[in-house]
Amino acid sequence: MIKPMWLIRPKEPLISFRITELKQYRYLISQLIYRDLIASYKQTLLGPAWLIIHPLITTVIFSIVFGSIIKISTDGLPQPVFYLSGIICWNYFSECLLRTSTVFKDNANIFGKVYFPRIIVPLSLSISMFFRLVIHVLLLITIMLIVPHQPYQISVMRIITIVPLVITLIAMLGVGLGLIFACLTIKFKDLNFVIIFSLQLTMYTTTVIFPLSSAPKNMAPFILANPITGLIEAFRYALFNTGGLDVISSAYCISSAIVLFSIGYIVFNRMERTYIDFI
Amino acid sequence: MSETILHVEDISKRYNLSRSGSISGDLSKWISSIKYPKSNPDFWALQNINFKLNQGDRLCVTGDNGAGKSTLLKILSKITIPTSGKIYGKGKITSMLEVGTGFHPELNGIENVFLNGAMLGMTKRDIQIKLDEIIDFAQLGDHVNTPVKRYSSGMYMRLAFATAATLHSEIMIMDEVLAVGDQNFREKCIAKLHELSNNFGKTIILVSHDKANRISLCNKEIILSKGKMI
Repeated sequence: MIKPMWLIRPKEPLISFRITELKQYRYLISQLIYRDLIASYKQTLLGPAWLIIHPLITTVIFSIVFGSIIKISTDGLPQPVFYLSGIICWNYFSECLLRTSTVFKDNANIFGKVYFPRIIVPLSLSISMFFRLVIHVLLLITIMLIVPHQPYQISVMRIITIVPLVITLIAMLGVGLGLIFACLTIKFKDLNFVIIFSLQLTMYTTTVIFPLSSAPKNMAPFILANPITGLIEAFRYALFNTGGLDVISSAYCISSAIVLFSIGYIVFNRMERTYIDFI
Repeated sequence: MSETILHVEDISKRYNLSRSGSISGDLSKWISSIKYPKSNPDFWALQNINFKLNQGDRLCVTGDNGAGKSTLLKILSKITIPTSGKIYGKGKITSMLEVGTGFHPELNGIENVFLNGAMLGMTKRDIQIKLDEIIDFAQLGDHVNTPVKRYSSGMYMRLAFATAATLHSEIMIMDEVLAVGDQNFREKCIAKLHELSNNFGKTIILVSHDKANRISLCNKEIILSKGKMI
């Protein structure tokens, strides 16, 4: 029988990828995804239906308030389609961020007793969030089929090249920021309120409820400063050929996702080894 | 047979007791550390621990409350890191620092066995092979399909022990787990631990206050007092 050798020491290298160690725990990843998807709907009234109800109600409210009362432009798209496509991206980002930021708190019981690479938890969370995202996209397609509109300019090529990249970048931003906040909230627990509060407000500064084209020209750089804005624009461009993004904004989105994710990963790896002494 | 499987070399662990948890608290602490550099709020939970274990050894760690037993087990199971020193080891470590760790209350017994096994780094097949043995050992009968939140503490404990003892790794760490459960099951557990170390060459590290357990089970002993070995 092979007995892997190991060593425990006070200091580890700053950047370690530990791919082989993660591979060993791949069954745990699938178990955590299963646990997150199945167990969260046990003993509930509507179960997995919440997955659809939540974005649907948000879309309806947005269509009434922003579409019919305030009458904000939707770039020529039907209102439900416009809002839902933004909500999908924003929800994926904010759920990844929120769930990752409470990883240490939610799993204190397990982390204090069993060892496994902690990064597995945020990793599996973002995957189980991805399954929810897929269901939301199916909901979007259904609504596109139901709501009358002139034919959409759909290009399979554009969707295949852009959408996977956009989703990956959103996940990296959400998880990366979440990892940073997870480490900060160990020391300052009230930061958690700040996260929830600012996520709610930040949504209104992104293009979830308005198209970039209808924003004042001098405001555009501020709106684009949030990389999620660019990603929502790119998502809508890929699906409906509206809006769109210039090279600089695209490069900004990509690099900010990579930088934030790397910082989060490094900080988290350092913190996971000692955090149990802090809480 | 007697291959060294765990080598603990000069392990120390320091805790900082004056952690405040707010920015103003941290600032005032920093200022006072400049004013009075001599004052030292640190607490050494462990100091210079050294020992070696061979394959098949059964080590018992004893000592009064606060002697550092749990800290030692936490460092061995990689829950926290030592302040100084090194530990060399061979093979996987399973730790049962508390009964039923990682059980999800909404999932049933079998689902939890798989989840628990996964946390120990096992694959689905490894666990499937052992599943019957676990259920048999835990004596849960039909309750394996009930969510574990409905279990009595005895059932919970039996399932947890059965899972850990059956999905065994090279080194097993147990923190007073034998204190729970009735006399019958305790005897069964002790027999199981004997079997694991004698027949399978597993190394077991155990914290126990019960002298009878200690004598019947262990071949090596460490006594801790205020973080030091005596």
